[in-house]
Amino acid sequence: MIEQHNLLEVEKLSLGFGGSNGLFRTKPAMVLRDVNFTIGQGEIVGLVGESGSGKSTIGKAVLKLLKAQEGRVRFDGMDISDLSERQMRPLRREMQIIFQDPYSSLDPRQTVRNILSDALDIHHLHMGSSREARLVELLDMVGLRREFLDRYPHEFSGGQRQRIGIARAMSVEPRLIVADEAVSALDVSIQAQVINLIARLREQTGVSVLFISHDLSVVRFISDRIIVLYLGKIMEVGPADLVHHAPLHPYSKALVSAEPRLDQKSSRIRLRGDIPSPLRPPSGCVFRTRCPFALPACAERVPELREVAPGRSKACIRDDIDMETAS
Amino acid sequence: MTMTSASVSPASSSRLQLPRIHPRLRLPLILVAVVLVAPFAVPPLLGIDPNAMSVMERFAGPSLNHPLGLDEFGRDRLARVLIGAQASLRVAVISALISCTIGSLIGLFGAYFRGFAGFLSTKTADVVLCFPPILLALLVVTLMGPGTKTLIWVLSIIYFPAFARIVYLEASRVSQLDYVIAAEALGARPRRVMFRTILPNISGPIIVQFSLTTAAAIITESGLSYLGLGVVPPDPSWGQMIRGARAYMEQDPLGIVIPCVAISLTIYGVNLLTDRLRDVLDPKGLSGGIPILSPRRRKTPAATVPATLEADTVLRIDNLDVTTNRNGVAIKLIEDVNLRVRRGRCTALVGESGSGKSLTASSVMGLLPRGVTVTSGDIMLRGQHGQAIQVTTLSGEGLEAIRGRDAAMIFQEPMTALNPVYKVGDQLIEAAKVHRPVSANQARDEGIAFLKRVGVNDPERRFDSFPHMLSGGLRQRVMIAMALSMEPGLLLADEPTTALDVTVQAEIIDLLIALKASAGAPGILFISHDLGVVAQLADEIAVMYAGRVVEQGPAATVLGNARHPYTRALLQSMPAAHEELHASRSDTLPSIGGTPPLPHERPAGCAFRDRCPHAVPVCADERPDLTAVDGPAHLAACHLATGRAA
Repeated sequence: MIEQHNLLEVEKLSLGFGGSNGLFRTKPAMVLRDVNFTIGQGEIVGLVGESGSGKSTIGKAVLKLLKAQEGRVRFDGMDISDLSERQMRPLRREMQIIFQDPYSSLDPRQTVRNILSDALDIHHLHMGSSREARLVELLDMVGLRREFLDRYPHEFSGGQRQRIGIARAMSVEPRLIVADEAVSALDVSIQAQVINLIARLREQTGVSVLFISHDLSVVRFISDRIIVLYLGKIMEVGPADLVHHAPLHPYSKALVSAEPRLDQKSSRIRLRGDIPSPLRPPSGCVFRTRCPFALPACAERVPELREVAPGRSKACIRDDIDMETAS
Repeated sequence: MTMTSASVSPASSSRLQLPRIHPRLRLPLILVAVVLVAPFAVPPLLGIDPNAMSVMERFAGPSLNHPLGLDEFGRDRLARVLIGAQASLRVAVISALISCTIGSLIGLFGAYFRGFAGFLSTKTADVVLCFPPILLALLVVTLMGPGTKTLIWVLSIIYFPAFARIVYLEASRVSQLDYVIAAEALGARPRRVMFRTILPNISGPIIVQFSLTTAAAIITESGLSYLGLGVVPPDPSWGQMIRGARAYMEQDPLGIVIPCVAISLTIYGVNLLTDRLRDVLDPKGLSGGIPILSPRRRKTPAATVPATLEADTVLRIDNLDVTTNRNGVAIKLIEDVNLRVRRGRCTALVGESGSGKSLTASSVMGLLPRGVTVTSGDIMLRGQHGQAIQVTTLSGEGLEAIRGRDAAMIFQEPMTALNPVYKVGDQLIEAAKVHRPVSANQARDEGIAFLKRVGVNDPERRFDSFPHMLSGGLRQRVMIAMALSMEPGLLLADEPTTALDVTVQAEIIDLLIALKASAGAPGILFISHDLGVVAQLADEIAVMYAGRVVEQGPAATVLGNARHPYTRALLQSMPAAHEELHASRSDTLPSIGGTPPLPHERPAGCAFRDRCPHAVPVCADERPDLTAVDGPAHLAACHLATGRAA
């Protein structure tokens, strides 16, 4: 991969829900705070975190399907933060989304042909005689047979539906795909097929992927870099293998050690309690209420995401934790 | 799958060059066509003036000249009911169309654009709904004067709010779905999203509402005409006919029956048509459905199977077959499953969706879906007092008695299993109170003790919380506490950690491991698709594929020395098993090609052979039985494992 400039740059992104109960302004629940990250051309960046961490919100905010309160999103060098829906429309072709639930992501009243044709129609692609060939090519790309074109979504299995969703996303030749828990709802034997498919599409088309998942082992396999998110804040960023094998942040370590594994678990960091409500986030480090290594200083100020090794950053004030002995 | 027009016999379509009409639409279409066409086509043929009076013959009975007799002014009833239909139907259908169009547009725009548009749309509808319909009608009639046109306006105003509200609610729901977001992400314009994506998906409720509105409009028209506010006499309408006949009801009951029958028939026709239209338009419609007749359960004579259970066993399933019926053909969903759960131990049932693992659990609890039955085999359960219970011979009340008491169940999504309007503590002790009498204070103390036992911090406070105040992990703990509160011999856990975050999942697994070691521990039947979770918890594992157990044995053996290619493939397709591989190095994860066969499409021989990399000809001919491989405890159903295909 040739690193020219980043395809996507997200800077100080903050986003909250609520903020009004119909009559009065209320304090919004901040789901994302001050999130910064980049995705290179052809790079797969994994985004992991527990439910409520804001993973899916980042995905939708990047695509401007949700409006951020603050921050900049630059796509291919162009600031898209303040574009109107109308101005966004031509750009929609460049960035696509794959959903988790293969059952709700396809319109049950449309055949596969219509689902894929719609995407092409919207952007006036292959309007003439090349349409049929393109549809077949798309199905072929995701490993489905051409006979499937005139079937309805309910006639397919979950894995096949997910492939149709991927074909829809790829139909407009995007440069960025947000895969929001794209393999989480699939059976184990099907999951591997779809992961391989996404990896192969990246290799063939050079598409960049923001791969959102709660499953660290899946993310480790497919991603070049991993971002660990907790309560709307980035805890750690680094190369996938390193974040997985030698996490720097206590929360990353807790996630890795909680993974169910065939071989008996190594030392596990046990977290206290549950993820706090985004309405009342803890002061200072948001993770401190569950962190086994928290110090009084952690409550006082928000730790910066700082580079601790080339390509590796963490948001933790402690550098003296020995992860291996901790359990 | 779907019953479409293609399933009509081909002969009929080759004879008649008519457009193919779905068989289910034929009857209502004929009915509606008759109701719509007859009023306009028949009167000219009769050539009778509906307003011509013949006072001498008033109330004359049916005759050849007047098939339905004459009314109170000696007018021909057939002519009047037909001409009257013209007015009634015109008013009803036109006003239903107008209110449907206006109401749907208002609802759709409101739901899609939200904000001010949403406010405007719901409030407009609400304001109109505030007026009593009759008052509204009187107002408009006073302003415009009675007549057909006025009626159409009145009825349109009365009925559009219902459409607006229904469409608003439905469209709001649908616009949150991923496929609508996908359309937006593709850059589709609002018009396209609203009319091409959302509208077809909410057409069902709109169609039903249309039929209800048409019917209501006919009746309201009759009512308003009856009050003298609608169609002006002497012109007939069904309402006018009822109004006229009412005064002479006792002398001449036929007079009131005729317009009433006409109204009923019309409403029935419209309702039937719209109902069926909704089903036919839905691509999923008419597939499946619950068969009215389900296969009869083979009653196992209790005498032939001795009701005994090994001392350490809390559940034993022998040769279980579970069957459903599809278009008259019996289809086995589960075949020949044998399982055993020991006290204080965990047997895991592993498989993908559709493998039959959840159905096996449901059979134990007698909770099979309608149309699905146990057709052979035995399920023996250890009762609370140590007795052996033959679940397969129990019915209704007997099954209810064992649920919760002898066998308790925990589910994937605890929120759906907890009632949101009751405090968790009250729900927790509810079960205890049902089965034995205890005082309120004693029950509370026991409940708190149970919460403590499942590791809930601050149990006194949690006891008084409502389910929505708890996190997913806490809810699952409460569910486990509820399940344990009756001290059942068997705990059925159906994917209890799948919906939880990994960190919380790890805690729940720890809890279950601790539970196994505790005194009076139940046996656990743990159903999961995740071998990683199973590896930590299970003592024995049974792997299911396509309704059968394909490999079974002690957990360490099955995981460490899997003999069935499917088990091996499952283990191999876990990304966690391949930490040396990475996508950026063009590695691929080992995966199983294809998808599991559906129950009615299972091939002869081994059901896995189409996906099996090692399949040989004998796999297609002969179905492998579960046979002992390396040791009597480890069973596999594979010709390769047993040496048959060497």
